[in-house]
Amino acid sequence: MELGGLGWILIVNLVIWTGLFLYLLRLGKSLRDLERKS
Amino acid sequence: MKTLLAWLLWLWVAVVLWAAFFYAPLAAGFIGQSSRILFFHVPLSWTAFVAFIGAAVWSGLYLVRRQPDDDRAAAVAVELGFVFCVLATVTGALWARIMWGAYWNWDPRQISIILVLIFYGAYLALRGAIEDDEKRARLAAAYALIGIVVTPFFFFIVPRITFSLHPDSVINSRGKIEMESRMVQVLLASFVGDAALFFWMHNLRRRILALRDRRAEGESAVESKSWS
Repeated sequence: MELGGLGWILIVNLVIWTGLFLYLLRLGKSLRDLERKS
Repeated sequence: MKTLLAWLLWLWVAVVLWAAFFYAPLAAGFIGQSSRILFFHVPLSWTAFVAFIGAAVWSGLYLVRRQPDDDRAAAVAVELGFVFCVLATVTGALWARIMWGAYWNWDPRQISIILVLIFYGAYLALRGAIEDDEKRARLAAAYALIGIVVTPFFFFIVPRITFSLHPDSVINSRGKIEMESRMVQVLLASFVGDAALFFWMHNLRRRILALRDRRAEGESAVESKSWS
């Protein structure tokens, strides 16, 4: 795969998206715990 | 169930990303692969529009019902709309660098998006400047309600009444979508993904603010008890 080609750009985008997604998923879980406690 | 929906969103956006690079064809008249920015730039801009109109609607509801949750929803919609709008500006500037040779050209489209950012930046400054909760919510709601006129004017009317180097809107001045069908599919799918992401983040941020307010109320109640 050519460095800097479309495939690489797609991989970088997928990594950023997955990172944001997992962060939001974890945030949702922490929030649910806090709401249950309060 | 909610987790399953979230994973479906992950899959949806992942497929959209793949489709933007490997399924949609290149548009004619664009340098290199630059037309692919369309699949990110336009949905970001549309989502910002939805967020700002949502903020105006929640603000109107706050003025009618005086529910703190409507105020929180409006504030969060503006915060997120601002982020989406900045991302739309940045992606647009990257495209302008390739097509027009400079990131910033004072094109009417660029000016109108900057004016939208200034308008909503002022909203955030207004919220930050008032300490009293009720007064802040009331003034911010009145201000954001004006957005129901300002936002469509800058997003949809200015581009149609001024001469711009910017490519035609998706629905062009003849009221038609003149775009290859696969491009339309990816564009709409990308918008659905962005809008879903917006509503997810909106829900999370709104709940964080609600928890913070509840905690602050609890602390002030304890404080007033210890004083009496």
